[in-house]
Amino acid sequence: MYDENGLYRPFQIHEKIVLRFKELFGIFQSELAMLKLYDSEFGNIMIVACKLKYLDYFLVSLTLTQPALTVVSLSGTLKKLRKNVSRLGLRNIKNNPS
Amino acid sequence: MSKLLDLDMIGVNSDSSTSMKPQEDVILRMDKKYPIADFFPYLIVSDNIRSLDGKTDLLLIDIFQRKDAIKRKVKRGLGIEISIASARKLEAAMAGRWLKEVKSINEFCQSNNCQFILSSGATSVNEMISARSFESILNVVGISPRVYWKEISEWLSAKTKARWYHAKS
Repeated sequence: MYDENGLYRPFQIHEKIVLRFKELFGIFQSELAMLKLYDSEFGNIMIVACKLKYLDYFLVSLTLTQPALTVVSLSGTLKKLRKNVSRLGLRNIKNNPS
Repeated sequence: MSKLLDLDMIGVNSDSSTSMKPQEDVILRMDKKYPIADFFPYLIVSDNIRSLDGKTDLLLIDIFQRKDAIKRKVKRGLGIEISIASARKLEAAMAGRWLKEVKSINEFCQSNNCQFILSSGATSVNEMISARSFESILNVVGISPRVYWKEISEWLSAKTKARWYHAKS
């Protein structure tokens, strides 16, 4: 989940995540992780695929990336993931900075 | 939100003016005990080592600060908190060092009978961090997530003030 009112579009955020992954864990690990952006049906959700072996590295990279992102669901298949996300009703969560 | 992140409890910064209703999965973080603390589980949080006293539950530290100053002032059972939010903006080399220091702070806490706490430092919903992401950070730096969650649960339950009271109506 990302801030849809922010400056970055999903493909730009994906680039930042991949760059951070490379910075922290190396180019070779980044290539092996195969981080791939998929189209999401929701305005504030992006879907990124990752090899399971590198999941910890990916989540650390994501956590330490700007802009801030929140992981809301994990799944082994894209179909199940889209179903999980649609059930979450994330548009109901308001962002109250105070 | 706690269910979404797979967390049992979330700490929320607050003062006397909060309009929140008491919830079982929320702990208020405050700099001193406000009257609203009678209706919520709460923790007294400080980010200044000089203002640390017997009532402080949690000390928020800069991960790169010198530990000898902290060591002189900490008491048994104190929570030492590291915020992830500040690490997002670090350059790569410093981010790597930040990860290394997480383990170092954990070892410091273990040797000084303090509780190591990793927090998101979130000021918005998008900055919040899921339990799985916390576990990834712990795995990468070599801390057992199972042990971490067990110890933090025991620490929270030992904090009388953080237990959920059914409040005065």
